[in-house]
Amino acid sequence: MVRRATIYLMAGTLALAMAFIAGSLGAAPRLPDIPNPKVAAEAPEIGKYGGTYVISSISDFRTFNPVVSQDTASGLVTGAIFDGLVEQNYVTGEIEPALAESWTVSRDGKSWTFTLRQGIRWSDGKPLTIEDVLFTFQATFTPGVDTSNRDGLTFEGKPVRWRKLDERRIQFTTEKPIGLFLRFVGIEIVPKHKLQDALAKGGAEFSKTWGVNTPPRDIVGTGPYVLQSYVPGQRATLLRNTTYWKADRKGNRLPYLTRYIILIVPNVEAARLKFLSKETDAYSARPREFAELKQLEKQGNFTIYDGPESFGSEFLVLNQNPAGVSPPKLTWFQDVRFRRALNHAIDRNTIVQQIYAGRATLAWSAVSVGNKLFHNPRVQQYPYDLTRAQQLLAEAGYQKGTDGVLRDGQGNVIEFTISTNAGNPDREAIGNILRQDFTKLGMRVTFAPESFPTLVGKLTGTYKWEAIVIGLTGGIEPATGRNVWLSSGDLHMWRPNQKEPATDWEAEIDRLFEQTSAEVDQSKRKVLYNRFQEIVATQAPFMHFAYPKSQPALRNTLGNIKIGLQGATGELETRYYKTVFK
Amino acid sequence: MLRYLARRLIQMIPLIFGVTLLSFIVIQLSPGDFLAEIRLNPVVSGETVDAMRRNFGLDQPLFIQYAKWLWRLLHLDFGFSFAYHVPVTWLIGSRLVNTLILNIAALVIAWLLAIPIGIHAATRQYSVSDNALSLTAYLGISTPSFFSGLLLLFVAFKTGWLPIGGMTSLDYDILPWYGKILDVGRHLVIPASVLGFGAAAGLMRQMRGNLLEVLRQDYVRTARSKGLAERPVIYKHAVRNAINPLITLFGFEIGGLLGGAAILENVVGWPGLGRLILEAVVQKDLYVVMGSLVIGSFTLVLGNLIADILLALSDPRIRYD
Repeated sequence: MVRRATIYLMAGTLALAMAFIAGSLGAAPRLPDIPNPKVAAEAPEIGKYGGTYVISSISDFRTFNPVVSQDTASGLVTGAIFDGLVEQNYVTGEIEPALAESWTVSRDGKSWTFTLRQGIRWSDGKPLTIEDVLFTFQATFTPGVDTSNRDGLTFEGKPVRWRKLDERRIQFTTEKPIGLFLRFVGIEIVPKHKLQDALAKGGAEFSKTWGVNTPPRDIVGTGPYVLQSYVPGQRATLLRNTTYWKADRKGNRLPYLTRYIILIVPNVEAARLKFLSKETDAYSARPREFAELKQLEKQGNFTIYDGPESFGSEFLVLNQNPAGVSPPKLTWFQDVRFRRALNHAIDRNTIVQQIYAGRATLAWSAVSVGNKLFHNPRVQQYPYDLTRAQQLLAEAGYQKGTDGVLRDGQGNVIEFTISTNAGNPDREAIGNILRQDFTKLGMRVTFAPESFPTLVGKLTGTYKWEAIVIGLTGGIEPATGRNVWLSSGDLHMWRPNQKEPATDWEAEIDRLFEQTSAEVDQSKRKVLYNRFQEIVATQAPFMHFAYPKSQPALRNTLGNIKIGLQGATGELETRYYKTVFK
Repeated sequence: MLRYLARRLIQMIPLIFGVTLLSFIVIQLSPGDFLAEIRLNPVVSGETVDAMRRNFGLDQPLFIQYAKWLWRLLHLDFGFSFAYHVPVTWLIGSRLVNTLILNIAALVIAWLLAIPIGIHAATRQYSVSDNALSLTAYLGISTPSFFSGLLLLFVAFKTGWLPIGGMTSLDYDILPWYGKILDVGRHLVIPASVLGFGAAAGLMRQMRGNLLEVLRQDYVRTARSKGLAERPVIYKHAVRNAINPLITLFGFEIGGLLGGAAILENVVGWPGLGRLILEAVVQKDLYVVMGSLVIGSFTLVLGNLIADILLALSDPRIRYD
């Protein structure tokens, strides 16, 4: 009998021990006021509290109103003060819950329901409610508000509809299923109780609210930091938000840093000097600076990382628009064999060496190598091969005369002008390299940079240009650039604003984009994007050169450094200093 | 004198009108407008850009835009900045004091250096020190301000003695009042010296030349032959006359106090008016540029007026009615 009791006791203790271990292993961290905080999963280390983190920004902030903010500098501040329903993981590119703890999408793909996380408070103590979410979307669509967030939430001319389901849930409805909805719905949420008076006065008044002349106390957000002070033209100082809704794996409330300061510097040189003199602790170096900064690592106590490629690149585009160019030039530019020949004549390796000091990857696809989600490596490539280029030209009827000058079938000399925006040294250097490359084919090419506004006026207004070297930044989803790729788009540079697609391949791209927009399943979108990249590489309306690598430099005293997409080095809320004394 | 003053002030009105009208036309006629930058953003549609253009009032005919602006100006409303969404007056006001501090410091350095050195050079004409000073002056005049600025920034970086650009340190807000003055002073050294030395070079040559000419005059010879010591001859008689043209210059300098040494401010990162206006011109932030032009013209005319009054006060031969 004693033996049986002992067995029961041992079994009981064992069960209790296992339950305890299982419980502590699987227990999600809790914060006293937030039952389900978001756990920062990407951060490898548990950090220490304290410290001041200083970075530089080349331009001054334009506004503290996240609905109105459109530039990178303002985004540095609003990104630290506000959050959206969802956010993008900086390593994988996937969309994750933020202010919303979960969402569901209806079977037909037309309705999205988001559930708010409980317990989140604004930095002035008031609770975050579904009314704030409704208010933010209402403000975004109020006429007169100077925002660029509307386009992402408008599909085929119709804005998305939303309604409140209950105190924690909001539902968005679209006419057709929108696969990209998650990429656009994460706009930063603003407090209704602080801004409703301004919105009531109209869109123009709302655009002026929470500008840089606002007392910092009035700017209220849910994000990791709160604005403490702004000195115009000099810096913005932000302080830790003690009621933030994210925690680390051990249940410590984030962020770790006490102060976050953004210095305004006049140019990249000044940013570099401040980094080297240890006034700031982060610097995004340009490709050319990598080798030199690597030498200075020990002296400056920092590490410069070999980052992934950025999403945007420079490219050459030829004008295929009858409203801008006439025959014979129009005939050449519209001839795909001509374009492919030019593509083979571009010496990309020289571009990589001279402009990026070797730190760039050759670009064959319109989607960057650095875009791990959607890059398609299996597209047509155009290695530097003058013989092949000349062969393609000969096959298409372009002959080099005895004087070495290339002429088309009608005897017209092949001559055109390449333009770009003056003052951009990379583009100017590339333009010169191209001019030399094409001259080897026997063409008469002139390179003439002009001012940026003139260029934009030509690209989007008069269309009177021949060839342009320019660049576009890319988001992670190619379909977000529909203004560029749809034949009806106004940034469809080689032939914008088409009423009907002028060619079969442009019609196919239109169809692919329509399908991707509707496709909720990401793996199916990838298949469509692969086909899109194949078409663009084969038809070569844009001839991309190379995707430059990023090379972020960070002080060695910082922790939780993990390199992500486009050279991002970590999340602001998980940054910490390994030794804290400031 | 009062009637003269009134007349000059009234003359300012058509001047400002003319300056602003001309500049308005030039800015608007040049290709592109403020929205050129956002036009090339792949995520923003053409319709949104057009809507923004309507919000800013940039789609209306030129003369209507100008007339609206002028009407607001008469109510002392300088309009709003496109880039910052804040009133132009606030924007300019936030940088005004910074530029004033820099320009006044540069003015003080320039004049405190130039006058004594100029006098020294003139009284010891062709001596070793005179030649050395002339050489330095030529170097100072010919070196562009941004170059000297960059050079000094580099020296500051290497030696760590001075802060690298900016106007205040990170902990400025918690410093006591004398700490704040010291902090701004440390940041002021590089830009004020560049501006000050550059201006001093030219002024010194002027002072030297004027004094040399005055010292050749008959009355100076008379004073010496009457037995006056050298000191009162130079300082009480000669310098007082030699400095006349420089007083006019001083008046112009006052007119330029609110002007921006835009390039230097950019190089050194001084948060002043010059940088703001340069940015606004490049971005075509219309009402900021127009506002700064009004202020600039006003201070210029005021400076001219002060120069003329100072001249009248110091030179009894000049009288205005």
